[in-house]
Amino acid sequence: MSRWIVAVGAALVVGVAAGAGHTAQPSSARARVDAMLEAGQLVDAEATARAGGAGLRTALGDVLVLRGRLAAADSAYRAAVASGGPEERGARVGLAELMARRGDRAGAARMAGALIAESARGTAGWSARDQVALGRAYLLVASGDANAVRSALRAFDAATAQEPTLVDAALRASDLFLEKFVAPEAKKGYESVLAVQRGNARATLGLARVMEFLNDGDAIGRAREALKANPSLVAAELFIARLHLEAERGDSAQAAARRALAVDPSAMDAWATLGAVAWLAGDSASWDRARAEAHRLSTSPASFYVTLADAAARQRRYAAAEAFSAQALALDSLSVAALGALGTNRLRAGEIAAGRAQIERAFAIDPFNLWHKNTLDLLDVLDGFRTVDQGRFRFVAPAREADVLLPYLAPLLEEAYADLARRYDYRPAAPIRFEIYDRHADFSVRTVGLTGLGALGVSFGRVLAIDAPSARPPGSFNWGSTSWHELAHTFTLGLSGNRVPRWFSEGVSVLEERRARPGWGAQPTPEYLAALKAKFMRPVSTLNEGFVRPRRPDEVVLSYYHASLVCEWIESEFGAPALPAMLRGWRDGLTTEAVVQRVLRIDLPALDARFDTWVQARFRDRTVSEAPEGDAALEPLLQEVAARERAGDDAGLVAALERLVWVWPYDAGVHVKLAEAAARTGDFARALRERRVVLALGPSDPLGARVELARAMLGAGDRAGARREVLAVLEQAPTFERAQTLLLELRRSAPPEDSR
Amino acid sequence: MRRALSLAAIALAAGLVLAAPLGAQRTHLLVVTGLGGEPRFSEAFARQGAALHTLARTQWRVADSSVVWLAEDPARDPRRIRGRATREAIGAAFLSLSRRVAAGDVLVVILIGHGSGEGPGSRVNVPGADPTAADYAAWLSGFARQTVVFVNAASASGDFVDVLRAPNRVVLTATRTAFERNESIFGEHFVRGLSGAEADADKDGRTTVLEAFAYAVREVARVYEQDQRMLTEHAALSDSTLAARTVFAAAAASDDPRVVALVAERRVLEDSVAALRARKASMPAAAYEDALERLLVAIAEKSEAIRAAGVKP
Repeated sequence: MSRWIVAVGAALVVGVAAGAGHTAQPSSARARVDAMLEAGQLVDAEATARAGGAGLRTALGDVLVLRGRLAAADSAYRAAVASGGPEERGARVGLAELMARRGDRAGAARMAGALIAESARGTAGWSARDQVALGRAYLLVASGDANAVRSALRAFDAATAQEPTLVDAALRASDLFLEKFVAPEAKKGYESVLAVQRGNARATLGLARVMEFLNDGDAIGRAREALKANPSLVAAELFIARLHLEAERGDSAQAAARRALAVDPSAMDAWATLGAVAWLAGDSASWDRARAEAHRLSTSPASFYVTLADAAARQRRYAAAEAFSAQALALDSLSVAALGALGTNRLRAGEIAAGRAQIERAFAIDPFNLWHKNTLDLLDVLDGFRTVDQGRFRFVAPAREADVLLPYLAPLLEEAYADLARRYDYRPAAPIRFEIYDRHADFSVRTVGLTGLGALGVSFGRVLAIDAPSARPPGSFNWGSTSWHELAHTFTLGLSGNRVPRWFSEGVSVLEERRARPGWGAQPTPEYLAALKAKFMRPVSTLNEGFVRPRRPDEVVLSYYHASLVCEWIESEFGAPALPAMLRGWRDGLTTEAVVQRVLRIDLPALDARFDTWVQARFRDRTVSEAPEGDAALEPLLQEVAARERAGDDAGLVAALERLVWVWPYDAGVHVKLAEAAARTGDFARALRERRVVLALGPSDPLGARVELARAMLGAGDRAGARREVLAVLEQAPTFERAQTLLLELRRSAPPEDSR
Repeated sequence: MRRALSLAAIALAAGLVLAAPLGAQRTHLLVVTGLGGEPRFSEAFARQGAALHTLARTQWRVADSSVVWLAEDPARDPRRIRGRATREAIGAAFLSLSRRVAAGDVLVVILIGHGSGEGPGSRVNVPGADPTAADYAAWLSGFARQTVVFVNAASASGDFVDVLRAPNRVVLTATRTAFERNESIFGEHFVRGLSGAEADADKDGRTTVLEAFAYAVREVARVYEQDQRMLTEHAALSDSTLAARTVFAAAAASDDPRVVALVAERRVLEDSVAALRARKASMPAAAYEDALERLLVAIAEKSEAIRAAGVKP
């Protein structure tokens, strides 16, 4: 099924005319108000607008909206409409927007529709501000109507063409482009505004948002520049608050949200940020207040709950995220964000059909949404995957990957499950869904909704996903240790009620990788030892920062290993039960400090000090001049295979080839070699597994491979299977000598009752 | 003797033609390895040329005088390379072979190198002036009574198919059109297909041109897939029916009447398998499997007996 994302339209003119500059003096009282607004002088702007009488009532309404005095703004707009002044259309759309903010979607649509209907009778004589008002009106009715979005852009464009110095039109067009994922056009628009109005705060903020969208540069720094130009730019504070919240900097997010509310107490997103911070911290009083404010501001504050859902999901609290999304949707059944959040969280829970239904609804309403489009395309890909229920796991993978990987992966994961369940005294409910992607882009979309994610695996709890080895170049990663790592998250997330901090969950996973097989998991690198020596590594109490706020690009990788050492040390110092006990502490809602106190009987400073002493001592005399080979290095494994072959060491050869398969399982020659070596050691079950995999790989000589499979079946005691297989081969190639030999062998060695 | 006669009668009744004695069909090979341009290509082309030479001499049992290999640099392998792969030398080789071939023989021409041009002007780059597809068409006109297998394993070779297409002639090219100009890997896989048993899809011990072609196509696709590259070469074939009938290795045969009889009996059994397969859908699975096994065991026993008589079945 092909699905096209709707394009916003041809590249529209969003620039402003050269020559129009901020140095030009405002030619009217309205322009003076605009200049004050741009500088963040809201009090002065309000005074000027009030002094301007009837002609500036719409401007007054705009100022009052920015100050969060919505009732007063409503009155000002109504007065402007009643007086029929020059900005009457702007006042009407202002009223419609206020209705929408209060949750009166129908009223807003009615009022916006009237303006649109009026435009249909002709816009001759309409001012540029009227065109901007028309564009805003279209946006109020754009839900499920792609043409309305295009019409809005046309209106903004017409406004810019008519009055190039009215940058509001170009800025709104650029914002719309960015909202619809067309970052390059948005960027061009913001830059063209800045080219003629240097330092324009909204354009600067727009560029910050583009930077964040493209993950390219210091978005917060750029947003702060916008605030320097306009200290009252609430949108900039809210943007900063959101980024802080995403980076788990609750205090900073809270501070930015409070600064936003100081300017505009009606800023829903600010209350949502405060609510999210309070919820994550378990601060019920602040949570109640934020929620009450949200419901006071709107009868259907869906966006408040969507923000909560996003915050919960970022903290891996997926069940809560799903519940918040559902609440949002209950408040506003047409909210694209709520539908998307609910759909995404259901997909994370493995509820594929339900998740798909929500995302499809979201995409029907907003066909510009790239995340939703990508996700639906991915679900189409998943439709072609094979589902295999085996033991405690439900594998979902392309057919070939299933045939090649599951003979190894299924037993490995069963072993991992049994081992982890025993030591953590916890048994996650079956089935655990394990998705395998042979295209990294698909895995990336499954994980974050967009392509470009660097990770190899992800755990949503009882839903795991990894790149198949074929999704990366040979030798890129060890898919066995990666799978073990992700399954360990299932235990740490489940046992802690998804409250385990990231550092601890990653630390346990890396530690468990090392325990799973010799050579698996992270090892000390020269970079790690240098960082340790330079005291760069963070203490345990702030180790989470290394994951969510790395000071340099490699800090995350260093933190993985460091965290695993913390877990290893805790086990060695306090006993193996300490790790599951800590997970239960988080499950009980304790803070990390309280968990440490309860389980380890020390405080955080003591924990920091004791671990630091231990880790420094452990590596004091350790020098590593070269990076360790890691568990995915092909060359040393190939050398070992060759050496074992030369030495005629079949047992060693089998072991080396098994390790090789965990790095690159697609070389039929390796599997043939492994089958032969296994058969020589009498391990016919392994030989049989290998022959099956050879066949799954689509060998150059399929009939020859099937004869070897039949022979392996016979070796493993499956005479009936061997007969069936060899007959199937000879049915196609009756004179195939090797198959004939095996058939005669089968006949002549058959027990009397089997002879026909 | 009576038994042999009766089996021959069975064979005739089944419409079979018994295998002709060894030596009835002769194969002649002309290999042209063109300019490499880079050492890695020169080495690869020479490797394929040498493999074909060895194959012809050892497996196809082609007489030394009927194996002609012309190459970019004869000094690389003076024992086997007959001369420099110039336009003149290639034309002379065709002329020389035309005097040696008999009606019913198989002439195999294999070009390995880099291709260019379009239509009748398509070419494989050799030292000096490049012979074109039109030149090859003219040279081949003297082989109307032979089966000709013409393989252009070079890039941009696709247009050779239309230029050289003729009755009793199979034309294989590494690419579908003249515009697939990237380096081609078809040749090495085609040669490998001819050399080993892997390409022998029906495992009858003889690799047909069609089987080698199908093998090469499959392996080329596999390499591109493994390298995560878009497939930029799509091989083409002019006559799959003739390709399915054509083999280069002479069929082993025996004058021993016991062996002739065994071979005939086995052919009858093989036909019975084919007939049984046709009834498969209408039979209970177990009955089908039992009947199939009986026939296959009988065929295997015939093969065993043929081998015991010192003949490769």
